[in-house]
Amino acid sequence: MLCQFCQEREATIHFTNVIGTRVEKIHICQDCADEKGFDYLKKSNFEKGDLLAGLMNLAAGVEKPGKVRKRCSGCDRTYADFRKTGKLGCSQCYEVFRTELDQVLTSIHGDTRHKGKVPERFGQRIDLSRKIHELQRELQNTIELEQYERAAEIRDEINSMKDSGTGTEQG
Amino acid sequence: MSDITELMKTPTGWLSDEGEESEIVLSSRVRLARNLDDNTFTHIASSEMLESIRSEVSAAVMDNRLIDDPLMMEMDGMSGADRLLLAERRLISHEMVMNFKNRALITGMDESLGVMVNEEDHLRMQSMESGLNLRKAFKRVSGFDDELDKRLDFAFSDRLGYLTACTTNVGTGLRVSAMLHLPGLVHNQDIRQVIDGLRQVRLTVRGSYGEGSEVSGNIFQISNSITLGLSEEDTVANMESHIRKVLEFEKKARESLLREARTLLEDKVWRSYGLLKTARLVTSKEAMSLVSAIRLGVGLKIINDVKLSILNEILIMIQPMHLQHHYEREMKAEERDRARADYIRSRLEGR
Repeated sequence: MLCQFCQEREATIHFTNVIGTRVEKIHICQDCADEKGFDYLKKSNFEKGDLLAGLMNLAAGVEKPGKVRKRCSGCDRTYADFRKTGKLGCSQCYEVFRTELDQVLTSIHGDTRHKGKVPERFGQRIDLSRKIHELQRELQNTIELEQYERAAEIRDEINSMKDSGTGTEQG
Repeated sequence: MSDITELMKTPTGWLSDEGEESEIVLSSRVRLARNLDDNTFTHIASSEMLESIRSEVSAAVMDNRLIDDPLMMEMDGMSGADRLLLAERRLISHEMVMNFKNRALITGMDESLGVMVNEEDHLRMQSMESGLNLRKAFKRVSGFDDELDKRLDFAFSDRLGYLTACTTNVGTGLRVSAMLHLPGLVHNQDIRQVIDGLRQVRLTVRGSYGEGSEVSGNIFQISNSITLGLSEEDTVANMESHIRKVLEFEKKARESLLREARTLLEDKVWRSYGLLKTARLVTSKEAMSLVSAIRLGVGLKIINDVKLSILNEILIMIQPMHLQHHYEREMKAEERDRARADYIRSRLEGR
């Protein structure tokens, strides 16, 4: 039987979880058990309360079967890890979980785009990418105002900037 | 002599009363969060990785021209008491007092510029100034960032800016804060409204000295919470204009207090002064509240022979680890109350 958390490895730990009148069977592999802090299963003296709290957390974290979990290739962490700790694992997570994070960022900052300082090594490329971004916004405005001639000019300007190569927007 | 003893010998620059608006604003602080590209964030990094980050960052920092004679302090080699001392001095976070393995602090002797290594982010650079001086603090820390940028590859994305372990810091990685003494607004109870107003413009307000919600000594810390979609310059300018607004309210509150209840106010100020000049046992909480009244008295020219810088210094020195360090012995809470009273008396008598 596959581990119900990673859906990859063979489940080697099986137990029944009883919360009130609800009964759940849990099948989990050693790696996921370790990751979820289940090392007290190995200890001979564990507090009953700890075990129950752990089981309840575990049950709450169970994802629907069939759903494939996205994992960051940079740090091997999932979005659920972020939800639990409030911290991302590495800089790549921001791209891997982009869709999920956009909502989080909007609720915290009211924005999803950086408007500040840039490291020297990114300098030129970003100047261009910001200009393109601004032009795109202007283009949108002119279209809404039905100024099609100006819109066409802006479109050409954007295309020529993109053609210059370094202006390709990344991420 | 240990680095800490060396550090304790020199007065902290930001405690002086030379900054702008120093009657109300104790200090300004600006920090930038940065991470090294191609490394996992601190909280899941292996010891080996943290160690290599620490050496890479310290090599870059020790080589820079902005911190004269930098002190490098590895947290692992330090006692818990010494780490707490650094936290009381606001050079490291309380988080770092607890999680200290492979962490470090690098700071200049005047403590105006420094960097925590391997805190929540690989680098947390900070600059402190006395009074209201956010621009100067920002300029200094940003210049430091430029210098380090030449030596280190920071994690950055075109779209999201500087990438940080927590989504609340991504973008500029900038946290701008100021510590304000607001007894006037607390007294006329407008403080609630002011805090709500600040929260509406997405600023965070906290009682200072400790994470708890109880406001000690009428001291409040105001900081920005937005780091994405707003440039560094705009963040600093916004903060400054909001703080100036608060200062205006506080000054009006103080004026009306003086106008409407002068004798009551004078009585409170002089009683507080008298108490601190004679008491033999003072708890930290009591001291904060009495110093607050004296500070208000100095600001309103009711008391003229006490310098604000002395009061600022007292606020730092009456904390537990500072008292122990000053008197060179470990103390229980009761003994500290005695030491605190002794210390305050000696400072108020100008010794």
